[in-house]
Amino acid sequence: MPSTKKSRFLQLCIIVMLFAVPVSGYSMDDDDCLGCHGDEDSVAANLFIDQVSYGITDHAELGCTGCHEGVSDEHPDDGLIPSLVGCVDCHEDIMEEYQAGTHSDNAECGDCHNPHKAFGFADVCCADMNDQCAGCHDAEDVYKAHNEWLPQTKLHLAMLPCISCHTDSECQMVVWYIVKNTNVARLADVEFVEYNELEKLAMGKNVQSLVDLDGDDFISLAEMKVFNKNPKYKSFRLQGRLSSECASHTLTTFDNRWDCCFCHCSGPESMKKSVVALPTEIGTFKRIEVEEGAVLSILNNSPDFYLIGATRSFLLNIIGLLIICGGLALPFGHGFLRFLTRKNRLGK
Amino acid sequence: MEKKNMVYLNTTPIRIWHWINALGIITLCLSGAQIRFPEYITLLGSYKSVILLHNTAGYVVTVSLFIWFIYYTFVTRTLAKLYVPTMDDLKNGVIKQVVYYFFNFFLGRGENPHHPTPDSKFNAMQKSAYLAVMVGLMPLVCVTGILLINVDPVRQYIVEMGGLKILVSLHFLVGSSLCAFLFTHMYLSTLGHSPMAHIVTMWTGWEEEVEGHGGSTDSH
Ligand code: HEC
Ligand code: HEC
Ligand code: HEC
Ligand code: HEC
Ligand code: HEC
Ligand code: HEC
Ligand code: HEC
Repeated sequence: MPSTKKSRFLQLCIIVMLFAVPVSGYSMDDDDCLGCHGDEDSVAANLFIDQVSYGITDHAELGCTGCHEGVSDEHPDDGLIPSLVGCVDCHEDIMEEYQAGTHSDNAECGDCHNPHKAFGFADVCCADMNDQCAGCHDAEDVYKAHNEWLPQTKLHLAMLPCISCHTDSECQMVVWYIVKNTNVARLADVEFVEYNELEKLAMGKNVQSLVDLDGDDFISLAEMKVFNKNPKYKSFRLQGRLSSECASHTLTTFDNRWDCCFCHCSGPESMKKSVVALPTEIGTFKRIEVEEGAVLSILNNSPDFYLIGATRSFLLNIIGLLIICGGLALPFGHGFLRFLTRKNRLGK
Repeated sequence: MEKKNMVYLNTTPIRIWHWINALGIITLCLSGAQIRFPEYITLLGSYKSVILLHNTAGYVVTVSLFIWFIYYTFVTRTLAKLYVPTMDDLKNGVIKQVVYYFFNFFLGRGENPHHPTPDSKFNAMQKSAYLAVMVGLMPLVCVTGILLINVDPVRQYIVEMGGLKILVSLHFLVGSSLCAFLFTHMYLSTLGHSPMAHIVTMWTGWEEEVEGHGGSTDSH
């Protein structure tokens, strides 16, 4: 009876398949895991993983089981909590660096990083970096502590990533973000413009083409000027933030950051390099190099960044000097003639 | 002995105002230079203290500018008379004054065409210069300075008006102009009948008119 044979075979197949899974060990792949953990309806909110932002990180290449060993096939019904590989296993040098600072007693890697959204330094926006600290360091307290010694505290805390002062990374550069001001009174803090809004602004074109007109991954002074002067983008502007050039994890308070000179006396030479950070679809940022000189330009390129002491213009220095020399012309010129003709006034 | 004729030119409030202002402006020029060139100038201590000094002096000078304005417009009501040059001043006064300072003075001829009285303290040249300084440059440098102390709350407006760089450049250029004016002002103040004459007047209030000598004062 072919029909019973066939059904027997099917039964067998099913049985084999059922057994085959446990036998072959951890056969659940990332897609299986994400089938539950990447779906908001299947798991609790705290177990949910954003597939898109996870997918672009280097961690995605490790696979879920690269870090979560021993997830059994009964999972989640087995009630076991899958074991975890520590960050130190793969990031030994960063761990060493971090432990050299004083902060390692206060927070672990996972307190600042989401392992499923492990973005690189350049992918993270200044404000998001500070959000990593804000979870434990209440903004109000931070303001108070810094206000005791730092003038224009609000400005400094808004315009600098915390890590510029609290890690040992010495090199700084200016990062331009597209910001807007939503408040009608126009007095409130600015907001970072998100990808969706820029996409609308670009009207079907690539978002990068808003600033990088020719799409060569390099923004010339002319291109920057076009963006700044375009009346269509009036409510948007490029705002500069002074940022460390690389991430360091020696997290503590460094003595030279008390010294305003660390930033303000760095001189115009240090103000050459800058990049534009454009938001991407998934909430990270893409950096595009900007031609030298943007930070120091007076008129067209950087209306919204000024680091007193460092971004002075050479041309203006000369003009100022000429004006002061003009003021000295009378004392010296007149004084000289006065000296030569002093006899004429004798006896008067 | 020469016959001395004493004129009371500068009232006490004006003298106090003048010297506070003078100290303030000199402080601002020096600290301003350090703020702009911190790598090269460390005259007044750390960057933080020099910023604090500059800001404080800035406010003092701003307040003193207000007091000056209120005093002359509402108390003595002589602002226009003292500071605004008349048509005659512009047509003849300035030329006479220039001829005196750059010609007759050297030849030892003639005397200063202007004789200061409490109602007419300044010669035509001074009037024009002081008007430009007190009503033009000083308010401009004060306003830009106060904006720079409060960048955070008004940033949007600053950017709309051209940006931080323009604001700072304006502040710097006007500051340089005032510094230039300061040199000229200090030099001209030595051109009385004796080098210290005007300076003493600004301190005591009394101008000593020596017979046959005109005096002019460089106070404002
Ligand atoms: C059938 C849906 C499903 C699949 C497939 C699945 N999980 Fe889970 N997972 C869950 C549920 C539900 C929990 C919560 C279990 C509990 O709280 O007892 C959980 C818990 C976990 C936890 C523990 C969270 C904690 O700290 O409490 C980890 C880690 C985990 N899963 C990883 C994985 C990995 C890795 C994979 C793929 C190899 C995977 N899961 C596949 C549904 C699933
Ligand atoms: C780089 C290592 C790494 C990779 C790769 C990784 N995880 Fe995790 N995962 C962790 C760490 C570390 C934690 C613990 C986080 C904590 O305690 O805050 C964690 C926690 C979890 C949790 C518990 C909930 C939470 O977010 O704290 C779940 C569920 C989970 N991972 C699922 C997955 C799944 C599914 C994948 C693959 C799509 C995956 N993980 C890939 C390191 C990783
Ligand atoms: C106090 C917060 C904090 C702690 C704790 C912390 N980090 Fe970071 N880490 C940061 C910040 C801020 C950045 C900058 C980029 C970002 O925000 O992701 C960063 C960046 C990184 C980067 C990217 C570096 C690069 O150059 O692109 C890695 C990798 C990293 N951290 C690993 C670790 C590891 C491993 C640990 C634990 C030893 C750890 N972090 C602990 C705050 C922290
Ligand atoms: C199984 C090995 C492994 C583990 C465990 C691991 N990572 Fe990574 N991680 C990597 C690799 C590989 C990269 C990509 C190369 C690199 O930047 O080092 C990476 C990259 C990163 C980055 C982004 C760096 C960049 O420049 O793009 C961050 C942030 C990060 N890891 C943080 C963590 C944190 C926090 C933990 C612990 C929760 C952790 N990693 C655990 C292997 C691991
Ligand atoms: C998990 C919570 C947590 C996170 C996240 C965190 N911190 Fe801390 N931090 C602490 C605790 C706890 C202390 C010790 C108590 C204190 O001084 O407030 C501390 C102390 C500090 C101190 C003073 C002591 C020292 O070591 O010099 C600094 C500075 C500091 N944190 C900076 C940061 C920065 C910058 C970030 C973000 C990149 C950050 N912290 C993120 C918990 C955290
Ligand atoms: C301009 C440099 C600078 C910036 C930017 C900065 N800090 Fe600090 N911070 C310092 C210095 C210097 C100290 C030491 C002051 C003290 O001990 O009173 C300090 C102290 C601290 C402390 C310890 C305060 C206490 O009560 O002893 C914490 C926590 C802290 N900073 C967190 C932050 C966070 C979070 C941010 C970002 C929002 C930040 N800092 C930005 C320079 C800076
Ligand atoms: C880590 C770098 C850093 C340190 C350290 C630092 N600043 Fe600043 N400062 C900045 C940045 C960035 C800005 C804002 C630039 C902008 O507004 O575009 C700023 C702005 C200012 C301003 C406002 C300038 C203006 O436009 O009017 C003053 C004043 C100032 N800082 C004084 C100080 C003093 C005083 C100290 C030392 C106690 C100090 N800063 C330490 C980076 C720093």
